[in-house]
Amino acid sequence: MPVVRRRSSLIRSPQFSSLVILIVLLAVFAIADANFLSPLNISNMMAFLPELGIIALGMTLLLTAGEFDLSVGAVFGLAPVVVMLLVQNGGFDIGIALLAGLVLCIAIGAINGLIVTKIGISSFLVTLSMLLVVRGAALYITQGFPLKSWDQPGFFVTLLAGSFNIGTFRFYTSLWWFIGLSLLAIYVLRYAKLGNWISAIGSNRNAAVARGVPADAVKIWLFILTSMLAGLAGMISAFRISAASPVAGTGYELEVIAMVVVGGTALTGGRGTILGTIVGALMLRSIRNGIVLIGVPGLAYNIFVGVIILAMLILHALLQKNAARS
Amino acid sequence: MEVLRLHNLQKSFGSVRALKSASFTLNEGEVVALLGDNGAGKSTLIKAISGVFPVDRGEIYVRGQKVSIRSTRDAMDLGIETIHQDTSLAPDLSIARNLFLGREPVNLKWLGVFAPLDLANLRDAASALLKRVGISKKLDADALVSTLSGGERQSIAISRAMQFAAKVIILDEPTNNLGVEETHGVLRFVKEVRDAGHSVLLITHNIHHVFQVADRIIVMRHGEIVAEQTVADTDLLTVESIITGADMSALLRETRAK
Repeated sequence: MPVVRRRSSLIRSPQFSSLVILIVLLAVFAIADANFLSPLNISNMMAFLPELGIIALGMTLLLTAGEFDLSVGAVFGLAPVVVMLLVQNGGFDIGIALLAGLVLCIAIGAINGLIVTKIGISSFLVTLSMLLVVRGAALYITQGFPLKSWDQPGFFVTLLAGSFNIGTFRFYTSLWWFIGLSLLAIYVLRYAKLGNWISAIGSNRNAAVARGVPADAVKIWLFILTSMLAGLAGMISAFRISAASPVAGTGYELEVIAMVVVGGTALTGGRGTILGTIVGALMLRSIRNGIVLIGVPGLAYNIFVGVIILAMLILHALLQKNAARS
Repeated sequence: MEVLRLHNLQKSFGSVRALKSASFTLNEGEVVALLGDNGAGKSTLIKAISGVFPVDRGEIYVRGQKVSIRSTRDAMDLGIETIHQDTSLAPDLSIARNLFLGREPVNLKWLGVFAPLDLANLRDAASALLKRVGISKKLDADALVSTLSGGERQSIAISRAMQFAAKVIILDEPTNNLGVEETHGVLRFVKEVRDAGHSVLLITHNIHHVFQVADRIIVMRHGEIVAEQTVADTDLLTVESIITGADMSALLRETRAK
């Protein structure tokens, strides 16, 4: 009876349990503080969500292929800093500067990917080193000072950080970016030939290679993609707050990885879910927002965030054990 | 009819001559067992035929045509499919997706790697294949490979090789880590594969299995082929002594006499 089987596997799937937890969390926050669901608060959450969410999409694909990238937070900081320096000190056109920023992100991703696949060093070590290099570069070229960002309205600002109102809600265009990129990522991972390759590489690289799948090339492109998305998110953030700080995005790499694994993607590769990542991104954002509202002392935030992430992971592990037994 | 012929294949890694010289012929609808101790050069030979690395010297002929095999893709395109123990399937993918891995049926082919999988075709073809190899009763094409037993996985991997009309199917230790029942299942399957007209090169440590399914036996030692005999003309003890090299002179006399 395949119908019943499929339904029960849906209920057991990690993205489903994450969704249930998300709904419970939202309900708890909404009951604890009526302001949680106010238009202003929802608008606020939706402004932050895409910036980490966009990186999380790339990270999901990368993790599914069995690698990860710790340099995303640093790239998030460096890309806008370089763009703004080119505009303000170099006198370049904003379009040219953005293009240069994009090329920089591609180069960082390509270096990560090439070292991981061709020299065979684990992505943990390679991207940890890259984090230091990139963050160091951002600090050095700015001498540690934040730059004023591009605040003249224009095509690029509207494209990346424009805002619009729906009723009493205020949304940024970055939400469209997140939605559009999410749909693309879902398509690629679940329905495209490339998605089959990505999952196969993360599940059993040798098997994929033996079937003629170009595993190294796929991984290198995923590193490039993740780096580009981190740079894009950094630009969106810098345009939104009109400032490019060399320390922007510090710690984002771990927050993004947490979003991805809380959503049900396996850290060991092979099993990835974009829907789960969207749920994970929503969950981490609403936890950060909700615990402030319900009055958890500021310095205690991370205790709660950590405990909730741990609880989610334990839940996934138990569900998986159960599934294996039945 | 000759399907695969190797002539004087040689391969060194640095100063280690892993493969000193290997020549043999594999015929259509034949199961040939490749035996030898650890380090005898079996896996080097297999990797050379399946395109994992190029050989230093020697020629490979497929159906009489001289070929050059530079990648696993080349080998597959020539109809040589290799099934390694534990490394041939991706456990997190469904049976259907595994069967077509690397050769996915797609719509809108011009989209390249972004082309959408033809999921209906994928599932139907997988179900038809599972039915043909007689395991459809138990297995759903959408089931994840991680839910299958070791024997089922081997059968799936072998079916995949058959499906792409492989001329030569190389089985690398197919019965390792399998239970008795499952081992018999896989061996039975090997016979069916042969009866369907495919040629099988079987690499194994287990001499008993060889006598159950193989038509011919090739023994390697120290990077060389030291004996080649039909199963009917030999027995278990003789083969065992050839593998370990216990009685070389008797062996040489025997092979020369042929």
